[in-house]
Amino acid sequence: MKKFFIFLHSYYDKAQTKEFIGGMLLILGAAFFNLVFGYFSAIFAVYLSFMKWDYIGPMEFVGFKNYEIVLRDLYRGIIGAPYLLTPFFTGFKNIIIYTLMVVPAQTFLALILAALANQRIRGAQFYKLAYFLPGTTCPVIISLIFIWLFMKKGFINYMIQFFAPGFAPDWLNDRNYLLPAIAIVAIWGTSGHFTVSFLAALQAIPRDLYEAAMLDGAGPIRRFIFITIPLLRPMIVYVVVMGVIGALQMFDLAWVMAGSSGGPGGSGYTIALDIYNEAFTRLRPGVAAAKSLFLFTIIFITTYLFQKRYGKVIR
Amino acid sequence: MPKKLLVLTFMLLSTLILSISPYVSAQRIFIRFAGWSAGPTEVKNYKIMIEKFMEKNPDIAVKYEVITQMFHENILASFGAGVAPDVFYVDSSWAPIFIEKGALYPVSEIASSEFIEQFYEFLLEPFKGKDGKLYGLPKDWSMLALFWNKNLFARAGLSRPPDTWEELEEFAKQITEKTGKPGLAIYLGGFNRYMPVALSNGAPKPWFEKPEDGVWFDNPKVRETLEWYINLYLKGKVKREEEGLKPYVVSPADVGAGWLGDAFGKQEVAMVISGNWMIPFLADQFPDFKFGKDWDIAPVPRGDVSRATIAYTVILGINSRTEHPEAAWKFIEYLLGKEGQEFLVVKLGHTLPSIKGFEKHPDLWPQHAKTLSFKYDQMIVFLWGPKSGELESRFSDTMAAAMRGEISIDEALETMKLIVAEVYGE
Repeated sequence: MKKFFIFLHSYYDKAQTKEFIGGMLLILGAAFFNLVFGYFSAIFAVYLSFMKWDYIGPMEFVGFKNYEIVLRDLYRGIIGAPYLLTPFFTGFKNIIIYTLMVVPAQTFLALILAALANQRIRGAQFYKLAYFLPGTTCPVIISLIFIWLFMKKGFINYMIQFFAPGFAPDWLNDRNYLLPAIAIVAIWGTSGHFTVSFLAALQAIPRDLYEAAMLDGAGPIRRFIFITIPLLRPMIVYVVVMGVIGALQMFDLAWVMAGSSGGPGGSGYTIALDIYNEAFTRLRPGVAAAKSLFLFTIIFITTYLFQKRYGKVIR
Repeated sequence: MPKKLLVLTFMLLSTLILSISPYVSAQRIFIRFAGWSAGPTEVKNYKIMIEKFMEKNPDIAVKYEVITQMFHENILASFGAGVAPDVFYVDSSWAPIFIEKGALYPVSEIASSEFIEQFYEFLLEPFKGKDGKLYGLPKDWSMLALFWNKNLFARAGLSRPPDTWEELEEFAKQITEKTGKPGLAIYLGGFNRYMPVALSNGAPKPWFEKPEDGVWFDNPKVRETLEWYINLYLKGKVKREEEGLKPYVVSPADVGAGWLGDAFGKQEVAMVISGNWMIPFLADQFPDFKFGKDWDIAPVPRGDVSRATIAYTVILGINSRTEHPEAAWKFIEYLLGKEGQEFLVVKLGHTLPSIKGFEKHPDLWPQHAKTLSFKYDQMIVFLWGPKSGELESRFSDTMAAAMRGEISIDEALETMKLIVAEVYGE
């Protein structure tokens, strides 16, 4: 026994092994969680998507039947069945509209905020912090605060009166305004996060490029369009891709602001909500897995195409 | 350094072993009991009862697990992972799934018939399997009743609660005209809350277990009553506001309340139809709003044919895969017996006891005793078929859409029929 400990001790004392063991220990936690909650779950989801299961009894292989259910839902939605009968189509349609609203707006806003924060002005540090703060706040808490702000007689409608008198929608109870309201919260909550990414990229742009342009007589706006934007392109692609991934998987804001069934007219229903309902209300984990793989495919294709088209780094 | 490391490891290991040893010590049977919580008092009282049980049964150790949110989803997931508790709550609307899939142990094989006979017969009905066996015993129950605010009624010149559905609507209008407060609050959707209207007006009790069972919605009585119920909100709130008038029917959210009990306790509405669970909530959250003086309870209004109400109950089920069914049963027998219910249900005042004989008990809260004294022609348990949970949720979404005026009554009826066909068709 003693010998064994001495062996361990001397093994551990060698500098190289020390480094190796140290490194391994450091990544062990992350690697373990990644394997269990990442790779294992992903592979299990693929397996589950071919099964019929009710959590209690044994699983039963059903081939592509779960995918058929998803496709039938989409087909019925396309030919115009009411939203209460086509949950997946409703979620799919909403999430595309939502992504189209959120991603361009948040990217643009983050870019502007970063450019502003990059100026040498008094209190720049304060602005950076203020922009980033929403990104560190729990989305559920943000949604709860915004529910309050978005009430019929809430703060947002009060402010709108000064710009557009008479325009006071019941944001959360009107099916035309619920999704835009959720999108506004998302834009507010995520732009700050991406501002930091842009800021880092902005600071990496060599100063002499701007100086050369200034000598050639380019003003601030021309410098922004012809130097900043092209050089930021890799970061813009990154921000858009991350934004698209996040937007297509949106769950928390809709869950809190619209409720699990998507609110009025199902206008706040998303694919992620539908996957949850499929798994835990309709008790069809197999169909839920098929739907999540469908979502994965959509995310994979959009981001792949986007990266392929715009992702080439220019130097 | 390595020495320290060794000592530390040793200490960690020994604490680990010591901490689990009571559960693994020889001969002691270990069972896990999972429930949700209706508040800290309930959890505390359960802990007291569990302690008492373990004193009387030193060979059994019970571990109490409180799952605060999404209880049945959690239990299902734990079945999927093979780590389900030995004893757990099952709501009536979820029971058929658990029974059908063989997740529950048949208690009728282990309980004496004298013990089972103590329970209200109608509460046991939903927990009988197709094989005639009983798969669980209710821990308590609640039923719908009409809660009315005496002060607002008096201000509107009314001295008694409404007795019929027509009166319910009339009184609500009158109260709104006289006091400015909405007369009635209902949920947007809420298929189970609509059910007393249907039953009391002669609609048959619904039961959905095949795709064709959606024909229930073709019944003219169903159409008529559903239209009336949806119009309560559509006419009483949506249309009224379009005309610039004060609504006489609202949903809790419309008056800034979380649920019916909250809206009633804040005195934002004069009437709600809700269950016994509202009684301890009012006593706890609104101590100045007094039963008897400020508010009272009345039977659910009568229809053309009869008077009907819905009962809600939760059973304590035994996991069919448990290694210790006898120990689990002993525990349930203790919690659900006279002594257990007297302490956990009657004195705590949360709901109604599920065994007979407590109706005149001095500790039974007067509010609960009053609901027990009402006479109903029909009292059915919240259960519409094997997939009640899903049906209730999707019917309610459809009803909510109709109440907001997004779809017509006919579209709602057609959609609900299709939902039945879809839920049982795939």
